[in-house]
Amino acid sequence: MAAASRGGGGGPKALELLRALPRVSLVNLRPNPGAKKSERRRGRGRHGGKKSGRGHKGQRQRGNRPRLGFEGGQTPFYLIIPKYGYNEGHSHRRQYHPLSLQKLQYLIDLGRVDPTQPIDLTQLTNARGVTIQPLKRDYGVQLVEKGADNFSAKVNIEVQMASELAIAAIEKNGGVITTGFYDPRSLEILCKPIPFFLRGQPIPKRMLPPEDLVRYYTDAKNRGYLANPSNIPEARLELAKKYGYVLPDISKDELFQMLSTRKDPRQIFFGLAPGWVVNMSEKKILKPTDERLLRYYSS
Amino acid sequence: MIRAGSRLWSRGAAARALATSAGRLGLPEAPEPSPHVDATTQAEKPPLVISSAPVLRGCHLAIPSHRTAVQAWVESLRHYDDRHVGLADLHPDVFAVMPRVDILHTVAVWQRNYKRISYAKVKTRAEVRGGGKKPWAQKGSGRARHGSIRSPLWRGGGIIHGPRGPTSYYYMLPMKVRVLGLKVALTAKLMQDNLHVVDGLDMPTFDPQYLADLAQYRRWGQSVLIVDVNKMPENITKAAASLKTITLVPALGLNVYSLLKYETLVLTLDTLAFLEEKLLWHDSRYTALYPFHLPYSDFP
Repeated sequence: MAAASRGGGGGPKALELLRALPRVSLVNLRPNPGAKKSERRRGRGRHGGKKSGRGHKGQRQRGNRPRLGFEGGQTPFYLIIPKYGYNEGHSHRRQYHPLSLQKLQYLIDLGRVDPTQPIDLTQLTNARGVTIQPLKRDYGVQLVEKGADNFSAKVNIEVQMASELAIAAIEKNGGVITTGFYDPRSLEILCKPIPFFLRGQPIPKRMLPPEDLVRYYTDAKNRGYLANPSNIPEARLELAKKYGYVLPDISKDELFQMLSTRKDPRQIFFGLAPGWVVNMSEKKILKPTDERLLRYYSS
Repeated sequence: MIRAGSRLWSRGAAARALATSAGRLGLPEAPEPSPHVDATTQAEKPPLVISSAPVLRGCHLAIPSHRTAVQAWVESLRHYDDRHVGLADLHPDVFAVMPRVDILHTVAVWQRNYKRISYAKVKTRAEVRGGGKKPWAQKGSGRARHGSIRSPLWRGGGIIHGPRGPTSYYYMLPMKVRVLGLKVALTAKLMQDNLHVVDGLDMPTFDPQYLADLAQYRRWGQSVLIVDVNKMPENITKAAASLKTITLVPALGLNVYSLLKYETLVLTLDTLAFLEEKLLWHDSRYTALYPFHLPYSDFP
């Protein structure tokens, strides 16, 4: 229609133009010029289609060319180059989606993430700050330093990996940061809790990290969730000395209780223990009573 | 210019035809257009009968500060000339969006094609009955060489690149494109004076002739689509049941193809609120983490 092609100079002018044009109906519709490009069909030209883009005689026209990569007998490129394991085991490598401090500040400023509650991967996913795909070997979120200069939010945040400067930036503002491990099943439940609750299965217990990650999560420098809690204040002081800021005392903070809430190593959700079944339609939580189940879920 | 002129001509012709038919039916005639046709005489100036308690409908959802609401007269079906019962404010982001006719084309084509399953299937040379034996020896007969009597060269032989089996033409347009299609269609109807707002579907009689005469007198057009959210009263259901060009549709059944097919659209005030709420929600929603029919706690 004329309105679409001339582009009316903005909304109101286009609407004024529309008022003077014939009624828009099923007979008047057409796509924008240039939107539908008709495909090139071979063998429909003059002289009965002639060669149809196949060339003249030989293997080309007769469809008998050798396989892709064949070089006439010379050892082809894809065989002469030796193998090297660049991508070997790529589907077993753990991936951590980066979350910059700038993005975190952005989400808090826009009100998509609530800093007065502990920030979890569930909160970040609900705020659409990160999109985690557990099936693509994502093991969680890593905190990245970009935006550390302008970061000024006091939060209790739980990520899967964090660099030293990011930890320093959070603690400088009086926040608390923890790194925790989630195995793929727990991660999927954490990122999309409602489809999991609708399945009617009991909340599983979070698995412990594999061998190569145990060292990372038992280190107080990384604020690991398996580290000795008494080592953490020393690590905080050390970091403050290294980066040269005054470590604020969070015990005198009004939100101290919220800031000090941490998850149990076997817990996936705050406030829900493993073994419980959440009934969404009736809004009830069912807890196991059998002794063996209780022993299993609390181990 | 030619198009504008043709529109004026067609309006004039319709007005003259309408005047004679109204006279025949005994209804008061619409103003007789003068023989000299120009823009001023063609502009319809019906007698403004505004009731003492006008129905004023404001927009319930927030309008952005840089835009103002568009307005439409609220009419009534209770009397054949109840055309100015009140005034309704319509949200500009639903009823005054950019007129993207290419989106209307996309959505209408999608509506036609996504349900289509073509059942055409022809047999290839392998499926045609017979043709396993070589008809005659390769050499010696003087005739062309052939391997089977069902090759595509033969009469009665298989078809090479014919339609193969039921084919589905299913595809889904993004949700927001379909929503925008509805908004553009509603905008086009409003801007081209084909949208009428009605305070309710209460009719004084179930006579289909009354409804047809009302549509003709008010110059609604050849075909009318009446939309309501609530259960429709009996009178209008009975009246529209026997009429071919006037159709009743629930608000959930509103779609771009029907909006373009029918010349006029009649909405009730409740439908306006329903449509505005449903269509504006998509402008400011998060992307879906999981299908929308599963419960979400942060948005409805």
